[in-house]
Parts: sequence; C-alpha cells; structure tokens
Amino acid sequence: MEREAGSRREAVRQAAALWVVRLDDPSCSDADRAAFEAWRGESFEHEAAYEREAVAWGRLERLRALRPGAGKPEPDLLIAAPARGLRHSPWARGLAAAAAAAMVVGGVLSLGTSTAYATAIGERRVVVLSDNSRIELNTDSKVVVRYHGGVREVRLVRGEAVFQAANDKRPFVIKAAKAVMQADGSTEMAVRLRADGAAVTVKRGAVELDPGAAERKDEVRLTAGVAAVYGSAGARARPIPESEIDRALAWRQGAIALNGQSLEQAVAEFNRYNRQQIRIADPSISGLRLAGYFQTTEPTSFVNAVTNAFPVRAAEGADGAIRLSRRPIS
Amino acid sequence: MAQEDDDRRAWFRREILPLEPDLLAYARQFCRDGQTDPEDLVHETFARAIACKTWREIGNPSAFATRILRNCALDALRRRKVLTITAVADFERIEPLDETPGAEAMLESREELRALAEAIAELPAQCRRVFTLRKVYSLSPDAIAVRLGLSVSTVEKHLVKGLRHCSDRLGRRNGRGKTRVDEGRSWSGKRDHDAKR
Repeated sequence: MEREAGSRREAVRQAAALWVVRLDDPSCSDADRAAFEAWRGESFEHEAAYEREAVAWGRLERLRALRPGAGKPEPDLLIAAPARGLRHSPWARGLAAAAAAAMVVGGVLSLGTSTAYATAIGERRVVVLSDNSRIELNTDSKVVVRYHGGVREVRLVRGEAVFQAANDKRPFVIKAAKAVMQADGSTEMAVRLRADGAAVTVKRGAVELDPGAAERKDEVRLTAGVAAVYGSAGARARPIPESEIDRALAWRQGAIALNGQSLEQAVAEFNRYNRQQIRIADPSISGLRLAGYFQTTEPTSFVNAVTNAFPVRAAEGADGAIRLSRRPIS
Repeated sequence: MAQEDDDRRAWFRREILPLEPDLLAYARQFCRDGQTDPEDLVHETFARAIACKTWREIGNPSAFATRILRNCALDALRRRKVLTITAVADFERIEPLDETPGAEAMLESREELRALAEAIAELPAQCRRVFTLRKVYSLSPDAIAVRLGLSVSTVEKHLVKGLRHCSDRLGRRNGRGKTRVDEGRSWSGKRDHDAKR
C-alpha cells in the first residue's frame, strides 16, 4: 500500500471529485449518470471515495453565505484571509472590503482566561464548554466566556444566543447589556440584544434577572415559558406559549418561522442572516402579514413567496439589495 | 434495493465520514516509520466500512471504524518486505481511539465557513476564481467557461482540483487538538526488546 498506493488513492479521489462536479452540472446528461452508476458500482473504494468528495462539495455550499450581495460576481472575492492573527497571507493587506468583511469571521480569540466565540453573518455555531454547558450562537453574534473564582460567567457581546447551563456547584451567570442573569442548573434560555437592553426567553428551568437599571433594583425570577424584555426603562415579563418560543428559536434549525408577522419584521429578520439585504421601498406594503417557514440563508425564496402572494414586486437595486415595492394592479 | 443502498450510504455519511480527522490522527500512530501513508489507511478504512451491509447492527460506529483501521494497519504491516521493529512496537502499544468528546467540541459550524474560505484562498489564482464563481455565486460550469474564456473541460479540471484540496482540508481539521500522537517517538525506540515477538 506504499508509494504506489498513495497515487492510486489520489487517482480514485480525483475520479470521484470529477463525478461530483459533473453530476452537479445542470447540463449533466442521463448517459453521464449511467456512466457514474457504473463507475460507482465497480468497487466499494469508488463508492466511499464518491461519498467523501460529495459531502465536501455539499459543505462548500455554505460559501454562498459569503456572497456580498453586490450585483456582479467577483471571481477574486476570496483572494486572501486577513483574519486577525490567525492566518498569515502574502496578499493579505489592502484587499477588497467585501473579502475582508467576509473573512474576519469570528474564530476563537483567547484573552487571558476568557475565550471569545463569534459567528459571522449567516453562520450558526454550537459551543460546548468544559462543564458541558452549551451555547448556540445565532448569526453575527459573539460571547465571551470566563470561568473564574468559582463563577461561570458568559457575556453576550453581540447578537443572540441560546444558553444551556449544565448542573454544577458554580453559579452560571449571563451578562447582556446592563443586566446580570443567574440561571439555575439545566436551564435553557435565549438572550437577544436589542438597541436598548435585551430580550430573554426561558424555555426550560428558571433564571434570576437583575436588569441593572440604575434607579430601580427590581430583580425578577423568570420561569419556563416566560419572555421578558428589559432596557433602560426597566423590565417587562409575560408568559408565552411553547409554540411561540419554538417559532422564535427556529433559527436553531436554520429557519425563520413567520406566523402573522409584518413584512417589515420579516425583512428585518432576513437581513440579520444575509449580506444581500432586502429593503422595503414602499411603506404602504410594510404592514402586510405573513406566515411560512423559510431558510435563513435563502432570502430569494422568501422574496419569491412574497411576490407570488401579494401585489409586490422585487427588483435588484444598484447596491445589490433587493427592493420591494407595490405592484400596480392593472 | 436501491433504497437499501441509499440508507447504507447515508449511514456512512452520517456516522463514519465525520470521524476522518480522528481516524487520521489514529492512523498516524501506525505510520511513524514513514513506510505507510496514514491517508491510505483511512481511505481503505472507508472502503471497508461502506461495504458493511449489517450497518444497522453497529452501535458504536467510532469503535467499528477504529477496529477496521487497525486491521488495515495490520494488513499493511504484513505486506511489508522489510519489517521495522518500531512499527511492530507501535502496533502493540497503540490503544483504541478515545471516544469521549473533547472539552470544547464544536458541534455545528466549527468555524467551518472560515476554514472553507481559507482553503479556497490557498488555491492557485485561476482555480480559485473558477471555484469562487461556482460555489459562492452558483454559476454553472458553462457560464464560468464563457465568463473566463476557458473551455468547459478546463473549468471542470479546476473544480476537481479545488474540491480535492477542500475535501482534504476538511478531513484533516480536528477541533480536539490532541497532541499525544507524537509523544512516544523516542520512547518506543527504547523499548525495542518488547517488540521481538
């Protein structure tokens, strides 16, 4: 299996990769498919090699999230990776802003005893901490984890995350905006930063919330099935049905679930996940109510659904954004 | 029958392929003397694993794949014309793969997007352009050929090259960062007498 084997392995993987590329080509013919089946049927080696290349090809679909949304495809989009201190690259400097923005996808950045985890636009990520607590980061989000002095502390710096605190003697503390929350063991809760303060939804367990507003010291205990919003004006909590919690957390399955939200709210949601932005050019349509289940990274399928269902038309603007306006009724 | 094959392949994708970085690290331990390529061991392990018609009965895919890899390594050892003592010593010493997940296993996106983009950035210029147009902008090979003034078969060649590069990069990444692989290099030399059997 020595040297000759290495080149044979590469030959098989190349052949597998070629089939993957061909079969995904829109002009692939039935004869091509039959030839592929014959090739794959020749050996388990071929079959396994094909699976390996096909899975990699599928994972590369995620690169679509890096599309800047500008009209014309840019072949040199991914010319280099000037990610902070993570990769040396000879061409790193002074590159297209789009490429730079796309590449500074948050990695893991350790600062002393704290560790930061971040996601880029369109990205999702699950982090399992040393005590088995889990953090699920939504698009364009960042947390800083610091376990010290008998306290497990996590700060939500940007975006939205679901926290699942593992049972442990040490308290699990979440900081977001000015608030400090202490979760009971085995609590599952979502926190989303807002322009002022944050929204907290408890799916399981319970959490003590201290909104941290200077004047008022009103600690609230939030239990499962409760959503709270806090900001400089204080905190408000209300019970919400489980279906509503699941809808709000559909992003964990890579989806946006709409159940009567306005077009304006729906567009704001899609814009969190995609570089290609959607804009409502005509305020008279922003109040349209929508329902449906969409992939976060497929704004075009959402736009198609809207233009099919409503008197709305879509056009791509000079800045690459999709502009929605009212379609005149003829 | 076709359904059965699809199920078996789906199982292979789901349970076996993601083990590649771990299997590769494990395979390296059998290949310290440089006579066997660890990638070949993994490649052969995959071929034997996907052949398993009784996959439904496998409760622990990681242990299953590890066992196959060990057998592949043993077969490779037997095929050798010159047997080095360290190779045999290593073989006796290497323990089955640790199956407990690492402290900070990245379950989902695992920095994947960044890793993918970095892998593309490493490609030669023309190959990188072709690949970017195909996978980031979803242009068809025909459209790419027109846009860049290439033949369709050249576009295909670039795509194959890019895919091969990326699939190897994806297979090598290991979030667990285990280091024990290299620890025993000098140690196994000292214990050569153990291997004379």
